[in-house]
Amino acid sequence: MYLYLPIAEISMNVFLIIGLGGAVGMLSGIFGVGGGFLMTPLLIFLGVPPAVAVGTEANQIVASSVSGVMAHMRRGNVDFKMGGVLLAGGLTGSTIGVALFALLRELGQIDVVIKLSFIVFLGIIGSLMLIESIRAIMRSRQPGARRGKLHQHNWLHGLPFKMRFRKSKLYISALLPFGVGALVGVLSAIMGVGGGFIMVPAMIYLLGMPTAVVVGTSLFQIIFVTANVTFLQSVQTQTVDIVLAGLLLFGAVIGAQFGTRIGAMLKGEQLRGLLALMVLMVCAKLVYDVVITPEDIYSLEFLR
Amino acid sequence: MIFRVITIALFALSLGNVAQAQEKLVADLDQRKVQITTDFNGAELLLFGALDRASVDDIAIIVKGPSKEIAIRRKEKVAGIWLNTENADVVGMPSFYHILSTKPLEEIASLNTMKINKIGFDFIPFKLAPDSRIDVGPQEEWQQALIRNMENLGLWSHQPESIEIIGEVLFRTDIALPANIMPGEYEVRTIHFRDGAVLDDSVSTLNVVKSGLSAEIYAFAHNYAAFYGIFAIIFAVASGWLAAVAFRK
Repeated sequence: MYLYLPIAEISMNVFLIIGLGGAVGMLSGIFGVGGGFLMTPLLIFLGVPPAVAVGTEANQIVASSVSGVMAHMRRGNVDFKMGGVLLAGGLTGSTIGVALFALLRELGQIDVVIKLSFIVFLGIIGSLMLIESIRAIMRSRQPGARRGKLHQHNWLHGLPFKMRFRKSKLYISALLPFGVGALVGVLSAIMGVGGGFIMVPAMIYLLGMPTAVVVGTSLFQIIFVTANVTFLQSVQTQTVDIVLAGLLLFGAVIGAQFGTRIGAMLKGEQLRGLLALMVLMVCAKLVYDVVITPEDIYSLEFLR
Repeated sequence: MIFRVITIALFALSLGNVAQAQEKLVADLDQRKVQITTDFNGAELLLFGALDRASVDDIAIIVKGPSKEIAIRRKEKVAGIWLNTENADVVGMPSFYHILSTKPLEEIASLNTMKINKIGFDFIPFKLAPDSRIDVGPQEEWQQALIRNMENLGLWSHQPESIEIIGEVLFRTDIALPANIMPGEYEVRTIHFRDGAVLDDSVSTLNVVKSGLSAEIYAFAHNYAAFYGIFAIIFAVASGWLAAVAFRK
């Protein structure tokens, strides 16, 4: 059954879209990330214009984050104060990001920037996570291994505007979460991702937050950042396809339920290791695409 | 299909003899409007007509879509990766240009005849946007790249021997419109050749319009962008909330 998508302006198989949403939803259920970093390249691969893939994904992530945060709130795993500061940074960052997106689109470089941002971030995060999870797996095999400090103290802790975050058990400069939020905000606007896969490691490794509150807090602020991106993309570029977002969402909700059950059967470090491998595979594919000689060095884009 | 056969039969009865007598080309489409509805996945049109000596003369049909501004981008290898480094914007390019004919164009008439009558990809005016210029390579290379890419996208094509001649005076052909067709006004030009010269031509118009829900959503997104954005957010929040409640254990 084919459906003509009003904003993407292409005809796509409904079951393919729902299936795609389901598959990515399942992965996000297993690993606790939004899955936008997988969905956006897949949509582009299926012929959705890159700009529409980005705008639409932001809209879909709003929904999956709301759904995820509600589950975490019930367990009390959301640090609203930390979330608020991350959010202030995130809103600043995503506003800059949308303006940057429009500028790059004008210059005709948007596709390259989207691809390069993906490669750099997927590569760095995939490698870091893989190393970390391998170490964790090795450590778990040596009984009686010493536990490390809660977090390391460095120059970042000397910054002004110190604030106390009770739930995260932290007393750090507000500039730190603000900066992390801003960086992720810029990326989520350009890349059409919620930024969970960057935000989560940044919160654990840069801010030193306890893992338990990280996912819920990250999802909490991602709702607002992606809502902001959805609104700004709607106004400035008209690239949010509500029909495509709705279908993806429908599949993702069901997929996530299966994913959560599969995830519960795996150990934390095994999960992180598998996620890292998946991230690196997507990265390798994107690298391959920009490195190999294209079939035609010329390409077209319809302007108006 | 039966309807089409009857249409042709009636057409033959009413116009066949007249056409033969007047040496005039007559052609028309079986529909004047194509609607891009929610379940649109391409469309097929029937073009039929009559002319004197259809069995020995040649016919070319050009289906031309609405004009667009197109950016042509050129990649170059920079530090090991392929980046778009040059670009040129061309204006007034038909977003759709299908040529159907009884024979390959070069066998029908000379290049000069084709040029004068603007038939063929090479004779679509290649006009740069006012603020655009070509810095690298000859313009010819960019023009050929445009043609090649449009052909690969299936938006421009040449289908020789795609017109069926029925008896002495009638002809018919199927025009396939792909799923990614752009809405707008299409021009269907039928050209009658005899001995390498253009004898007559006939132009019909075809409207491709978005209709139904997808048209309304598109219009809403463009005319009330802020409301659309807010609506999209409310829709997402409500769906997410509903999902969380529905699957709560």
